[in-house]
Amino acid sequence: MSNEQWHIGGKTLKSRLLIGSALYPSPANMEDAIKISKAEIVTVSLRRQAAGEGGGNQFWDIIKSMGIEVLPNTAGSHSAKEAITTAQMAREVFGTNWVKLEVIGDQYNLQPDPFETVKAAEILIKEGFEVFPYTTDDLVVAKRLADVGCKIIMPWGSMIGSGKGLMNPDNLIAIRKQFPDLQLVVDAGIGKPSHATEAMELGYDGVLLNSAIALAQDPVTMADAFRLAVEAGRLGYEAGTMQKREFASPSTPTIGTPFWHQFD
Amino acid sequence: MIEVIVNGKRTAVSSEMNVNELVQELKYTQKGFALALNGTFVSIATYESTVIRDNDSIEILAPVQGG
Repeated sequence: MSNEQWHIGGKTLKSRLLIGSALYPSPANMEDAIKISKAEIVTVSLRRQAAGEGGGNQFWDIIKSMGIEVLPNTAGSHSAKEAITTAQMAREVFGTNWVKLEVIGDQYNLQPDPFETVKAAEILIKEGFEVFPYTTDDLVVAKRLADVGCKIIMPWGSMIGSGKGLMNPDNLIAIRKQFPDLQLVVDAGIGKPSHATEAMELGYDGVLLNSAIALAQDPVTMADAFRLAVEAGRLGYEAGTMQKREFASPSTPTIGTPFWHQFD
Repeated sequence: MIEVIVNGKRTAVSSEMNVNELVQELKYTQKGFALALNGTFVSIATYESTVIRDNDSIEILAPVQGG
């Protein structure tokens, strides 16, 4: 494992895997998966609660007992106002100024609304939030988020829950090159460990995923696989990958090749 | 009696009241929820000074799993 520590949102962490808490077969399974993943950031959310409910909120009790950083999301928001109100409510309930800003522009592909996301990010930053904005792989939207003060940007790999991996690595590379000093996390669409490795090899600082682990046949083993995948990708990036070539170049020496020109 | 909308459902409450009284009247005895009035966050510190009126919309949210 890389010994390098990672600075994000005012914290110093070792793991570059951010994990979601939804969709697991059971709360116990969620707990085991998060533990084996060694993720130090877990996403959570807020939803309507009836009177008298929540006296035994097993899920939240488990998350609190794990002692890891909580990243509340504004999932379900369709406007900057809804996202801002949700973030403010989350800050009070979860006791953190971290917020995963998610403002959806389309119900079918759950694509983030770039205009409302930038609007909400600017206001939330002024209110003292540490904003983790979920966005597309659009370079100009990333620039607008950086302009309003975002220190972290989370471009999608592909649609939430699709498992399709990195749809547009070239766009992700462009964002990485343009913002060398920001923390960049690929969020959404990861399906296999190799997708996470690919994102880390591009130089991204972290990967956030939920469905790829929770919906696997064996979420606990998959969480372990993703832990290794993120570590491998980061080590590969730190080691510096070889340059691609447009021609073949043998690795075995050609001097002393037997049977060469034997029948000339 | 007035009628308000709590988590999307029309609900009758005894009269105009502050948020603290509303939460008690609705029997939200558990801890760990957050409240918004007409789309605006209401902090716990302002429950006593925030008044609920006829046709107000209240959202009461609590922690759940999320990605």
